[in-house]
Amino acid sequence: MLDVLNILTVGVLLGGIYAIVAVGLNLIFGVIRVVNFAQGEFVTFGLYGAYAAQIATGMDPYLAPLIVVPVLFVLGAVIYIVILRPLQNDPMMQVFATFGILMVSQNAILALTGGVAYSVQSAFIGMSVSLGPIQIGLSRVIVLAVATLVTAAVALYLRHTRNGKAIRAVAQDRTAARLMGIRVETVYTLTFGIGAALAGLAGCLLSPLYTMTPQIGMNFILPAFAVVVLGGLGSVLGAFVGGFVVGLTEALAGFYLDPALKHAVIFIVFIAVLVVRPSGLFGVAGAEEVGLRDQN
Amino acid sequence: MTKTELSRTPRIGSFAGELPVLGAVLAALGLVLLFYSDDSFTLNTLAGTFLFAGLATSWNIIGGFGGQFSLGHSVFFAIGAYMTGNLFLKYELSPWISLLPAMALAAAVAMLISWPVFRLRGPFFSIATLALTEVAMALAVYFSTWTGGAQGFSVPFKRGLENMIFAERMNNALLMLGYVAVTLLIVCWLRHSRLGYSLQAIRDNEDTAEAAGIAVLRTKLIGMGLSAALMAAGGSLYMMYVRVVDPYALFSLFDVGVKVAMITLIGGIGTIYGPLLGTLLLIPLENLLRAELGASVPGGNLLVLGVLLVLTALYLRRGIIGSLIGLADRMKAARA
Amino acid sequence: MSGEPLLDVTGVSKRFGGLKAVDGVSLKVGAGEIVSIIGPNGAGKTTFFNLLTGQLRPTEGQIRFKGQDITRLRPHHRARLGFGRTFQISQTMTSLSVLENAMIGGFLKLRGNHAAAVRAMAALDSVGLEAKADRKSSELTLGERRRLEVARAIAMEPDIILLDEVMAGLNETEITEILDLVHRLNEAGKTFLVIEHNLKVVRAFSRRVVVLDRGAMLAEGNAEEVLSNRAVIEAYLGASTA
Repeated sequence: MLDVLNILTVGVLLGGIYAIVAVGLNLIFGVIRVVNFAQGEFVTFGLYGAYAAQIATGMDPYLAPLIVVPVLFVLGAVIYIVILRPLQNDPMMQVFATFGILMVSQNAILALTGGVAYSVQSAFIGMSVSLGPIQIGLSRVIVLAVATLVTAAVALYLRHTRNGKAIRAVAQDRTAARLMGIRVETVYTLTFGIGAALAGLAGCLLSPLYTMTPQIGMNFILPAFAVVVLGGLGSVLGAFVGGFVVGLTEALAGFYLDPALKHAVIFIVFIAVLVVRPSGLFGVAGAEEVGLRDQN
Repeated sequence: MTKTELSRTPRIGSFAGELPVLGAVLAALGLVLLFYSDDSFTLNTLAGTFLFAGLATSWNIIGGFGGQFSLGHSVFFAIGAYMTGNLFLKYELSPWISLLPAMALAAAVAMLISWPVFRLRGPFFSIATLALTEVAMALAVYFSTWTGGAQGFSVPFKRGLENMIFAERMNNALLMLGYVAVTLLIVCWLRHSRLGYSLQAIRDNEDTAEAAGIAVLRTKLIGMGLSAALMAAGGSLYMMYVRVVDPYALFSLFDVGVKVAMITLIGGIGTIYGPLLGTLLLIPLENLLRAELGASVPGGNLLVLGVLLVLTALYLRRGIIGSLIGLADRMKAARA
Repeated sequence: MSGEPLLDVTGVSKRFGGLKAVDGVSLKVGAGEIVSIIGPNGAGKTTFFNLLTGQLRPTEGQIRFKGQDITRLRPHHRARLGFGRTFQISQTMTSLSVLENAMIGGFLKLRGNHAAAVRAMAALDSVGLEAKADRKSSELTLGERRRLEVARAIAMEPDIILLDEVMAGLNETEITEILDLVHRLNEAGKTFLVIEHNLKVVRAFSRRVVVLDRGAMLAEGNAEEVLSNRAVIEAYLGASTA
């Protein structure tokens, strides 16, 4: 019984990590219709950003978002304007381009660090909270809490602010949005920036939990895609819920099968969702334009 | 509409029409081998280059002609290597024979994985194939009976044509040239076949293709199966050529799966000779970069290739050959 | 019309979420007819076409073709049964040559490049594009692309051809050429279903006209009668002049 509770706890906490990574990815996917293979790299930048901030100023990684989030917002906006906007009508070239960004990022970090693994210090590392018989690391609880807050904040932003409404309008029908006077290009740039910033925030929060290596972003990108497909393209809530489904699946597979096979199980979930319900749990209208047109 | 206009013979390319060019290209590659016949280091490099030319040509069938960008072709390559290696090691089966089950299994896996994803449009196929690579690598490490686990396994050096194992580098290079020749021959046929036209029609416009009576899902699956089977054949040759494989070498994204796509993109996606040209440019460049940067700047070679990939996507979408053909078309149109 | 009509549509509807794009439309088309579909923008004409050719599946209703229920068939199966179509937004295969585009149609019933190419050439000839056979289709003008689509459909040798605003953006000469072509093919036994905005063209095209408005059938009948019908003028002309 305690085993099961432990596994569920691990799964939920892992789900928090995937959720926070996937929310940004899904925003980009759902609104701009770009499959961003480099999204995991933005998480990596967050991780290394927290490390750099600590080396430079001794800052605790939980304060690093103050610097990392705005920097990544700008970086995301610049990448969108320079690389992805010119390829708007050519989704396959976008696949190549974001993959090229991934290669550049991973190998630039490898070249800069010489492949040495880094980790950060935080006042909170080692602290834990008790939940009945289970001990949970405080760092993981923080991730879970922030993931929940961020999801709520993004959802509220999309629902109630002027820019948020513009983003939703563009996601639903870009032609109509353009006719209504919304500057679609600006919305895209804003969205990509927000997506990158959210990934950077995730990276900062994850920095006390992981040892940093240049390829660490790959650990997040595949589960994040599974989360997005599961939750439904463009749905913020879907990404949040999907994160927990994937996190729990991974934890259960790791315990009952073999930790080495957890990615295989996630992949099977991914394929199964595509077969059974290609629009995901919370799929939104207009998703078929990206590729969700059932050909049965 | 007079009778003479109607009876004008339409000018279309044909398989037979491609053969002189193919012959010339292969002869030129053969001459290069002859020129370096005393230089076993260069012959070795050429063997590796020809192997990649064949792999990229295979990828181009579904990636270029079919417009479905697989990032997971390393899986089919690995299936070929593992099948041939295991059958050789356990049953001393000649790779010439084990090629066939390797190709069949790769085609079956490719079609099975692609079926749910091809029902959807857009980039899901790329995501799924990328994920497939990661999963296959995890499985390869896990099922160590067949793969030797993380350490990999090797096959003994038993010389002989029947084993595709040679002491002479020239023989290896010739075998790989043969592989290029077969893949190019198949693509020459494909380019002017009903299947090839159907694939190209789907790539250009799925709705129109379907409305014109093309069974879109089936055509894509056949293209994928053919592409994966040829990829597996390359994997079989690779196994007997290097005689030692491990999962990291086979599945590393940039070593096979993404590299074949990148080579094709740069050379000219959807053209017959684009993948070959891309290989002849990129593999020597990569060797050079690795020699120059490998030690001093770790990852420097891949960093440069990544930049090259982004630039190609931005400024040379049709690749070198595609751009040249486009230029020729425009000149023809201007003259007319 | 004796016996079963070529195309028999019964109570077909298509819902997108809350919106009913096509609402209970029934239509019989006999072999050898030319039927025009008119209606204001957003009336559901193209959606109706997509239901007929299988790009979309109806939420309700039944579609029969040559006596066979095709409601659930995929587009390529319907093409094999004898449906040819053009698209409202001209859709050619841009990386293929003009001849190869038409060959894609020819391959439907023919094996072998040569046979498909000969048929494609004949189809190009009938739309006046034979001189451009070797060009890339991306080099064609809008009018030429529309004619290429017609050629591709003809090369399929279908029983019924659906033309979706094939005249849009064409000049007078080109319109006359297409009209001639349609009448010639019609005399040779082909059936046509045509979405058309230009009422002059509608009158020249067909004896029978169907009016769609907000997804439903507003009127149907003889061209002259329908086009002078008060409700039609209000829905259609009223909307377009407003």
